[in-house]
Amino acid sequence: MSAAELEIEDLCFCVGAFRMEHFSLKLVPGEYFVITGPNGAGKTVLLKLIAGLYRPDSGAIRIDGQDVVDLPPWRRGLGAVLQEGLLFPNRTVAENIAFGLELRRVSKAERHCAVGEMAERLGISSLLSRRTEKLSGGERQRVALARTLVLKPPLLLLDEPINAADEQARNTILCRQLKELQRENDLTVIHVAHSRGEIDRVADRVGHLVNGQIDRIVICI
Amino acid sequence: MIARRYSRGFDALMSIPLVIYAIIIVALIVAMFGQITSESVRLAFTDPALRHSIWLSLTTSTASTLLSMLVAVPAGYTLSRRVFRGHTLVDSLIDLPIVLPPLVMGLAILIFFNTSVGRWLDRGLVEHGLFVYQPLGIVLAQFIVGCAFCIRVVKAGFDAFDWRYEETAMTLGANQVQCFFRVVIPNVGASLVAGGVITWARIFGLFGPILLVAGTMRGKTEIMPTTIFLETSIGRFEVALVIAEMMVLISLVTLIIFKRLGGKGVVG
Repeated sequence: MSAAELEIEDLCFCVGAFRMEHFSLKLVPGEYFVITGPNGAGKTVLLKLIAGLYRPDSGAIRIDGQDVVDLPPWRRGLGAVLQEGLLFPNRTVAENIAFGLELRRVSKAERHCAVGEMAERLGISSLLSRRTEKLSGGERQRVALARTLVLKPPLLLLDEPINAADEQARNTILCRQLKELQRENDLTVIHVAHSRGEIDRVADRVGHLVNGQIDRIVICI
Repeated sequence: MIARRYSRGFDALMSIPLVIYAIIIVALIVAMFGQITSESVRLAFTDPALRHSIWLSLTTSTASTLLSMLVAVPAGYTLSRRVFRGHTLVDSLIDLPIVLPPLVMGLAILIFFNTSVGRWLDRGLVEHGLFVYQPLGIVLAQFIVGCAFCIRVVKAGFDAFDWRYEETAMTLGANQVQCFFRVVIPNVGASLVAGGVITWARIFGLFGPILLVAGTMRGKTEIMPTTIFLETSIGRFEVALVIAEMMVLISLVTLIIFKRLGGKGVVG
């Protein structure tokens, strides 16, 4: 599956006091786009709109040219790691990572192989048989990341996916792994981040979101 | 639960009412059990009518609990997860059978079966009636009172499970049915079973509405609570006591199961 093109056109959405009006953005296939901005700027809302967890009041969200506004989240063919990185409490780490593969009816042997490989990449192999409630915040986020990345979605939405990891691990190991996985699997990524070091290591472009609007875009060389 | 102790004096003071109330309950139960004799136990268990009453109590309670669960799981999920027009009204209606005296619910059922629709439902298919003064009437009365209780307990289980897990599952490709059966149910399973157990216990002890809807026909519509009523009214207190003590033991066991399953809600 090759990287997806994402086009958001004239998107309007209001929830409570928050308003996003006539928002437009275009991502080319294989691009790594980082969104920054203050709290309440609409970063998570934007990701949830793209993921289909919120429904916009008007406007279009096109993935590879197809308007997906009327499609439910599970038909959009994207992957998302939401802010909390919630892990299913009734499953072990390995079973969490295998969740999406089970839904896609991937054989047990292939699942085992893919889960092991992804866990190895993200340094969580030793956690595979563990229950999730005793994991640290950083470990939980890596498991949530592995659970989505193992599906190799053509469009990947990441909402502060590694913010619980310590700064050194975040800026070196995790950012490098994320960037490598994005290139190897040919993924288009939207990543909400705050850390300067994290942004510099992964971004192709950085958009600064304020009050539901991107006020500037920086191209990273 | 982490027990923190800051002031022993304050803790002791706050515990006094709890200890007094617990002593009252224990004293009542001990007093009941103190009256029991082997002769009254033999008498209770050799009487075919009483054996039928125990059997009918157990089977009707189980049937109405299963029916309640069939309604309570989807209803509890809907009330927990969806906001719709009239949500508060529906939520309050569900609570009505809980707050109303059970006798009033029984009266309402009886009056309903006196309307044209009710008469057709009761006697439209079977000449001698399906519900009024029939064993099915016991199940119906138990279901109507117990289901509200079951919905409340089951909904509390769904409320306690963060809906964002479902959002997460959807972003991984799960549709709503898969979310429900693969994510929600496995994680609230214990609460659902607890809901079933406590509903069963509640239904098992129901008396008033059953007396009105199904009557107390010996060997036909007599259940354990009505047996206590009948035996007391004819002066056989010792048999009534045996049945009452059986109900105490059964209720105690179901409550322990409920607590062990981590049940929350009305009695959690």
